[in-house]
Amino acid sequence: MKRNVHRTLLGVIVSLALLLSACSANKPAPAPSQAPAQEGASKTEATSTPQGEKIVHIGIVNAPITLNQINDQGDSASDNVLALLNDSLLDLNEKFEFIPKLAQSVETADNQTFVVKLDPAAKWNDNTPFTTADVAFTLKLALHPKVETNFRLNFIEGLNDTGKLEEGVTEISGLHIVDDHTFEVKTKTKIDPLIFKERFGTKVFFLPQHILKDVNPEQLATHPYFQKPEVTIGAFKFGSFVKGQYAEVVKNPSYYRAIAKLDKIFIKVLPAANLVAQLQTGEIHMNSIPVGLIPITDYEKVTGFSNVELTSGNSSVPPELFFNAEKISDPKVRQAFAYALNRSLIVDQLLKGQGEIIDGGIPSYHPYYNKEITNYSYDPEKAKQLLKEANWDSSKPVSFLIPVGNKIREQAADILVQNLTDVGIKVDVQKFDFATLIQKVLKGDYDVTIFTRDFYIEPSSYFTLFKGDNPGNFLKYKNPEVDTLIAQGEAESDPAKRHDIYNRLQAILHEDVPSLAVYSEKRLLAVSSKVSVGKPLDIGMFNNVNEWDLNP
Amino acid sequence: MLQYIIRRVLIAIPVLLGITLINFLIIKLAPGNPVDMFINPNTPKELLDTKKELLGLNDPFFLQYFKWLLNLLQGQLGYSFSTYAPVTVMIGERLGPTLLLASASLVVGLAIAIPVGVLSAIRQNTKFDYLMTGLSFIGTSIPQFFLGLGLIYIFAIQFRLLPTGGMTTLGGSGGAWDLIRHMIMPVFVLGIVIAGKKVRYVRASMLDVLQQDYLRTAQAKGLHPFIVTNKHALRNALIPIITVVGMEIPLLLGGSVLIEQIFQWPGIGQLTIQSILSRDYPTLMGLNLVAAFIVLVTNLFTDIFYSAADPRITYS
Repeated sequence: MKRNVHRTLLGVIVSLALLLSACSANKPAPAPSQAPAQEGASKTEATSTPQGEKIVHIGIVNAPITLNQINDQGDSASDNVLALLNDSLLDLNEKFEFIPKLAQSVETADNQTFVVKLDPAAKWNDNTPFTTADVAFTLKLALHPKVETNFRLNFIEGLNDTGKLEEGVTEISGLHIVDDHTFEVKTKTKIDPLIFKERFGTKVFFLPQHILKDVNPEQLATHPYFQKPEVTIGAFKFGSFVKGQYAEVVKNPSYYRAIAKLDKIFIKVLPAANLVAQLQTGEIHMNSIPVGLIPITDYEKVTGFSNVELTSGNSSVPPELFFNAEKISDPKVRQAFAYALNRSLIVDQLLKGQGEIIDGGIPSYHPYYNKEITNYSYDPEKAKQLLKEANWDSSKPVSFLIPVGNKIREQAADILVQNLTDVGIKVDVQKFDFATLIQKVLKGDYDVTIFTRDFYIEPSSYFTLFKGDNPGNFLKYKNPEVDTLIAQGEAESDPAKRHDIYNRLQAILHEDVPSLAVYSEKRLLAVSSKVSVGKPLDIGMFNNVNEWDLNP
Repeated sequence: MLQYIIRRVLIAIPVLLGITLINFLIIKLAPGNPVDMFINPNTPKELLDTKKELLGLNDPFFLQYFKWLLNLLQGQLGYSFSTYAPVTVMIGERLGPTLLLASASLVVGLAIAIPVGVLSAIRQNTKFDYLMTGLSFIGTSIPQFFLGLGLIYIFAIQFRLLPTGGMTTLGGSGGAWDLIRHMIMPVFVLGIVIAGKKVRYVRASMLDVLQQDYLRTAQAKGLHPFIVTNKHALRNALIPIITVVGMEIPLLLGGSVLIEQIFQWPGIGQLTIQSILSRDYPTLMGLNLVAAFIVLVTNLFTDIFYSAADPRITYS
């Protein structure tokens, strides 16, 4: 679940930007007046940029908080910078293929022992070779019980259920170093190679042993290295980082792959309205998702920019309604909610058609999305009938907790409230900032809430939430059949069988409705015509960042 | 006088302590905490508990406060919960831009307010006076974000004369002119708001002084009207303005949240909002301490200037 950084002012700014864009839309600027304006812009750019440097500016709305490659704190904004500075063993692309990066190959014969061969040419940006010693160093440090990390490697033999080493243990029994460029990882049980490739292959970044070898694990997080990680292994290296403002990365001239064509990349933090404005003025070249969303309300406006190419991404992870199963225990009532909601109105009007309706949390382009499921339609009569069958007390108010910050989601929630009122459900709307909302939700102090989860390639990650014995199951949802299927899905290593399990799981959850997706937005991807190679993507945007280039 | 200053400084210490205690209490009372914000059902509960333990969030309230105080006595404000950077560094790098923006806006605001206020008072009930009081009314009532976004739209997007925001051109060669270009719009907006408020004070205070007997005497002595206005009247009229400006400074240094947000100015205000939303306790405590310190210092300076400007006022 995204750690949304809410900008309280965003609402005001967005609505104002709307107002301004409405003004400009009324009188389309004649072409001749636009040309001199752009000349002026390029003139100022030329004077302010040192000659010959190729620089790309990427606009995002949420500020990156950390450059710690072993602990991104779940912050997608930080992931943008981290992906530029650090290479992982494998890259994941939009077709859900894993492509070798630091690793030449990742192979397994039995789905339990994974043999990883590193690229022998791989080296840190200070020319120190990158070897299996760095891999072992990183894992032992990151998995130390007192070190915070976003690595989720609990499938490796020798680690406890939380994926950490036990207190006092220094060696990972499942990690076997073969030689300088080969290592083996043994898992506790057979697993789907997808899990290994995603969680180890793409989510693990490495720490330089020659820089950090003497560090005390308990003080690792505050080590000065993470404020200025000058030695990393990526196409770009650290330039500067001004928190809340921008991060600058510069070309790594000793990269072990083809050296980057760009000299610098700036990741610039700015409010959504300014992001659109700076795309227009050419101050930024592209956005990045999900942290640099172009408000869908600006769709027509950005389409009109002559210097920007606008496309739509895949239908993204949806905001979901989550029901407190202890308060709204009858599945019929939850189904009634599903029938009561006019979600196509939200997609057509609010998202201007740039989205689709799905019922589950897995987006439709995900390989594990169950295509057989028919979505709940908008049918208020059916909703009323179901409520009647369930003896729903219409005088009982339903508390609906809405996080502030995402304007579209808030507006969508307003429509949902209206829909629910129309079928006779009394709704008590409560809006909170994210930290407050989460506290209430964890305490069970809510009936219905709405927010958006993260994107995962590994399907089990979408279902852990529904596990009856998971302390993080804030839905208080319990279904033994679902628990069994979740356990089976996690233990099964054959992808075909997993597909069956997850299809069944999605079908049951669809009937039971512990949660309901509202809309799946096709996020807008904008890139300046000045950029010849490189553009925002849903997945793997920076995979080929060393090939990015500007038009001459 | 020196004795008075020493006494004020000594009183300031318990006041500061009291402020930090109350702040700590309020921050802790706010719902939510920095660890549970990372809600993710895929994260084992044990890991969250370890993190709370490491951050010291499981300690009793007063122990947490005393730990913070102990650090403070050693000149440390701890590490931010979100960036793990030292809080002193985080605040330090934000203070400069805020000071720059605040002082520039104050200078611009006063440079507009004082002459306009004085002229308005001298030419009371003329067209000029009506126009200026009208404009000052607009200046105070126009929302800052509206003015800011309007300016961005006109000067940055339509005419492309100025950058839309930030403090420097990223990847540019920098320099003073680059900085000034980035400052023009935010300083203008803040300056207009300050000027709008201050014009009315200057005008009212000047009108008050102009009716005093000693001014009639000065005029009767045959002094040049310029000297009467600027030496005899203005100096006295500005005494109450010192207090008003003194009250404005902490507000400005606290960071203009709106303006910093709209123009992406890397100041204290932006940092405050981010820290509140992420429940970054050490950074918030540090920011509060700095803010409290600034308020106390400016109050002290206001009093000192006051007595320097008006010999009738003595502190003993």
